[in-house]
Amino acid sequence: MRAMFKSLSSARVVAGLAAAMGSLYAIGSLAAVPGITGTGSSPSFALSAGEALSNQPDGLMIYSWGYGCSSQPAGFAPAGLSGATCPSAQLPGPTMIVHEGDTVTVALTNNLPAAAGNTSIYFPGFNVTATGGHPGVLVQEAPNGAACNKTANPGCNTVTYSFVASTPGTHSYYSGTQGSIQVEMGLFGAIIVLPSTTPTACQDANNVSRAASNANGETDYRLAKNAYNHASTCYDREYLAQLSEIDAKVHVQAKAQVDANTACTSEGGCLNIVTEPYEPTYYLINARSFPDDADPSYAPAYPNQPYNMNPHGHPGELVLLRVIGQGRMQHPFHEHGNHMRVLGRDGNLLVSSTDATKLAGPLSFTTASVPGMAIDSIFYWTGKGVNWDVYGHGFAGDTSVCIPDANGYYTSEPTAPNFYEWCGDHNKALERNPLGQVASGGPMTLPDPNIVLNGAWYSGSAYLSGDANARSTGSTPLPPFGTVLNSNSISSYAFMWHSHDEREITTANVFPGGMMSMMLVDPRQSLGAPVSIDESL
Amino acid sequence: MLSVSRLVRLLPALGLLMASFAVEAQNYRVQCPTATNTHPDGNNIKCQQVSGGDGYVTMGDGTQIYLFGFGPLSGLKDIYNGQPGTQVQSVFNTAYGPVTGTPSTLVGQPQSDFTFNGAIGLTQDYNLDPWSEGNTYLAGAYVRNGNKIYRATVSGTSATSRRNNTATGPTGKGADIVDGTVHWAWDSSLLDGHVEARPIMDVGVMNASQPAPLMAIDEDDELFITLTNVGMIMRPDLFEQHTIHFHGYGNASSFYDGVPDASFAVNIGGSFSYYYLAPDAGTYFWHCHVAPAEHLQMGMVGQLYVRPRQNKLTSGASLRAALALWEAAPAPTANPNNSAAWASYEPYRKRCGNDILCSAPIPPANGAIRAATGGYAYNDGDGSTYYDVEYPIQMMGFDPNFHFVGMTFNPEDFIGMKDKYFMLNGRSYPDTVGGYECGKITPETYPGCTGKSVGTVVPGPMQTQSSDGTMHTSQPLPTVINIPLNGKALLRLSNLSTTQFHTLASLGVPMTVVGMHARILRDMAGNNMMYRTNSITIGGGESADVILDATGLPVGSKFYLYTPNLDELSNDAENFGGMMTEVNICNAVDVTTKVCS
Repeated sequence: MRAMFKSLSSARVVAGLAAAMGSLYAIGSLAAVPGITGTGSSPSFALSAGEALSNQPDGLMIYSWGYGCSSQPAGFAPAGLSGATCPSAQLPGPTMIVHEGDTVTVALTNNLPAAAGNTSIYFPGFNVTATGGHPGVLVQEAPNGAACNKTANPGCNTVTYSFVASTPGTHSYYSGTQGSIQVEMGLFGAIIVLPSTTPTACQDANNVSRAASNANGETDYRLAKNAYNHASTCYDREYLAQLSEIDAKVHVQAKAQVDANTACTSEGGCLNIVTEPYEPTYYLINARSFPDDADPSYAPAYPNQPYNMNPHGHPGELVLLRVIGQGRMQHPFHEHGNHMRVLGRDGNLLVSSTDATKLAGPLSFTTASVPGMAIDSIFYWTGKGVNWDVYGHGFAGDTSVCIPDANGYYTSEPTAPNFYEWCGDHNKALERNPLGQVASGGPMTLPDPNIVLNGAWYSGSAYLSGDANARSTGSTPLPPFGTVLNSNSISSYAFMWHSHDEREITTANVFPGGMMSMMLVDPRQSLGAPVSIDESL
Repeated sequence: MLSVSRLVRLLPALGLLMASFAVEAQNYRVQCPTATNTHPDGNNIKCQQVSGGDGYVTMGDGTQIYLFGFGPLSGLKDIYNGQPGTQVQSVFNTAYGPVTGTPSTLVGQPQSDFTFNGAIGLTQDYNLDPWSEGNTYLAGAYVRNGNKIYRATVSGTSATSRRNNTATGPTGKGADIVDGTVHWAWDSSLLDGHVEARPIMDVGVMNASQPAPLMAIDEDDELFITLTNVGMIMRPDLFEQHTIHFHGYGNASSFYDGVPDASFAVNIGGSFSYYYLAPDAGTYFWHCHVAPAEHLQMGMVGQLYVRPRQNKLTSGASLRAALALWEAAPAPTANPNNSAAWASYEPYRKRCGNDILCSAPIPPANGAIRAATGGYAYNDGDGSTYYDVEYPIQMMGFDPNFHFVGMTFNPEDFIGMKDKYFMLNGRSYPDTVGGYECGKITPETYPGCTGKSVGTVVPGPMQTQSSDGTMHTSQPLPTVINIPLNGKALLRLSNLSTTQFHTLASLGVPMTVVGMHARILRDMAGNNMMYRTNSITIGGGESADVILDATGLPVGSKFYLYTPNLDELSNDAENFGGMMTEVNICNAVDVTTKVCS
């Protein structure tokens, strides 16, 4: 809980100050899919494998191994994220962002301690050639720098991999050497391959949500406009969730044996670690436990865990969720709020066998992540079908409009506060006899606040946007103690995205924690100002 | 004009006015309107009341195990008989027994002779002040008059007999009834959701069940679920709140999503009513979302499914034509503000258009028609999800060590959580095919006991004695699968395990997976992606729709559904049992009682 209040409340301060000034709101602690980039059509990445400490919300620093940058990358993406770094070892490894058709070169230098022996990178789904290093069981390996005496023999501990990024989408990479130890210790990462074309439907000129963002002055943090070379894969925001777990016993043993075997020269290392029974104590998204995953990307508190998971989106925005199973366990990752359409698995777009213009991936409300698999899905939220006006329209004197487009949504006015409202519920009352200025005559009497316990993400009203919140709650908004994580001046909807193996949303036996994040649907406007999802903070 | 003396006389009346406001703050209550904007005729309004509390169930090896769980507070007769407890509003809105309830007889209900399906505790709202003549009422005040409740919309003084000869107060269901200078609007009948706490406590305390009360609705229904937190008698140190999460509800509002962090949770002594328009057809489920690692493992999980509107087509109607009708709908009205304008969006709500999350793409042209009997899992448009009889099956595990810790006062171990009982619908084999001993009441009326001798055990409700000394029907659902000759059974599978994926395999009867996650398996071009298999694997938080096809299998044959996770074919130390049940081929099966003949 420490980090949750520390970080999120500070991000919200920006919103509060902005509200006082009546200018742009900023919702902080977000970051699209941050990573490193190369140059041109032959990007090369100089990676290293080394030791790192994993910072967990219970205060523990867990000894780990991670991939990192042995020299500064050519660039970082998306542009505009402050503090972007790539340390020599990080958890997960650097997200490499490349383009379809690129010839990608990855030089891996093994800086692991002597007792770890050789290491490597396995790139599932790609046809890899390797130069240098020593042959391993699965892939060519980088010899241990201590064992091959890198001081005397510079470069003896480097292996170079090269492959063509043949299929767009989300891909994993991880150690191909002693996986039960090295992947557990943290040697894994992601490769994002951006598609080579932008279908007409995905171009900004044809994207009403992007038009609304432009009209509200929102920066574009996407890596691309579509996930695959397909007109049904356009997206407006994107998030990457790498799911993994840590059994701290393994890490404690590793640290002790590494310290005791500094003279090890065996290619297979000198570790004898008991990995069974495997009992994870930490369940992680992008190597962070909840609530640390809501802190900003590149936050100084996590020098070796640069990537967060704090998804946001406006109504109607297409949110691309990239999920990778990076540990050894299956994790059913449940997304509240709406179904998702699965686009592809391991960079393979699923299209209909009779009509290649149509998608064939299933609809899901739980991403059944399995080890080693990457799944790309599209989510969006509009509130269509809740059967009441989520903006609280329809009171006496209300002048709001909802003019349906071909699908029944209000998309013709980019700066409308209720942009992308489902018009079928416009003016439809929720409350029977409301206290404030919202439509009456609905089916429900809302609860007495004295018999309920308000949550930290509860804005204090049933409605979306600070306007509806202010109108519906009167002068003493709920919760009485003030909302901590979802300001009633913005009044977003919060949806939990989490592992439905529910014991995994704990951190070292403490709930809440673990493999959990909160997806916030932020209104387009609130109290007369645009709500800007600023992913640079 | 008021004289001072009259004002003084009015003061007590004003005090009473404040008291009548307090009805809104009543802790226990239910909400189940008799009419809404969407359903002015009251049809298709469905309601259910459940308790949140604790109780006991019996595992396959005879061990009694402690639960946090939900129990039924409406539809008790149907729940007892293994059927969904969801009721139409006209059945829900009935009062049981005398106005004050019939206290002690309700402890331990439902039993086999319990015939009431309405809301427990619902009673006429005599707490409201009766209307009186010559009284001053402020706007917003409520009174009762006759069998109706009225709300003042304009402040004023009610009529008096002295001036008007007869002053009877407001009558009828008008929206603006003038009475002296006060204006009234009809609010509801005297059965307005007011409940007596005692019958609720009598039924609800120590009555948690596993799984939680079964819910089922039809597409386009409005669903009102009232959660009433009766507290946990065995853990008075825990002031546990509870919620209801409708798992898989598309385009949810966070307000009714039941995540305590994103909205709120219901305290002990309180009720909260959740409101949903039925989502697209499919197999969903529901559970408490408070500290889910603890509350789900402890048993707060239930089943919920939505039947497609395709079922409502008249026999012989083209299935595909109904889907095509929505796609061809005319453009809806701008700025809708009345029932007719909102209704113009209904085809748009149901159609696919170019929606990437479209739930029912139109299949290729075909001649499928609505069958005379049976139902469909989805709006398939081609009959591919037809079934004769449906069975909700929840896969689940219990860790007895965690439940023991849950009953006592020790720190909980999430890391070490390991299930040792593996269940279908809250029971392990052989309890999955048993539970009820015929002859417990005379005459025996339990549906499965027809023609059976006294003492015969048939699939039915299981009871366990709680620490209140009373038998409670805490495991109402058997899982025996009876399929009519050459017929099809729909298995509505869900996994609510907090620890692991589960596999269910079929011995002999082929499975066809027709849906996953409450959505038909079909690509966006309309091609079915259904597949035949002998086993299905799903994780916690997943659901699947599987059709068992008994074509060609002889009457009287018996098959098995079991988990090939072989270590789960056990009841703790007993190495035979666990996640398994029987499939019988029958001449005919009653689609409601599931009785084989």
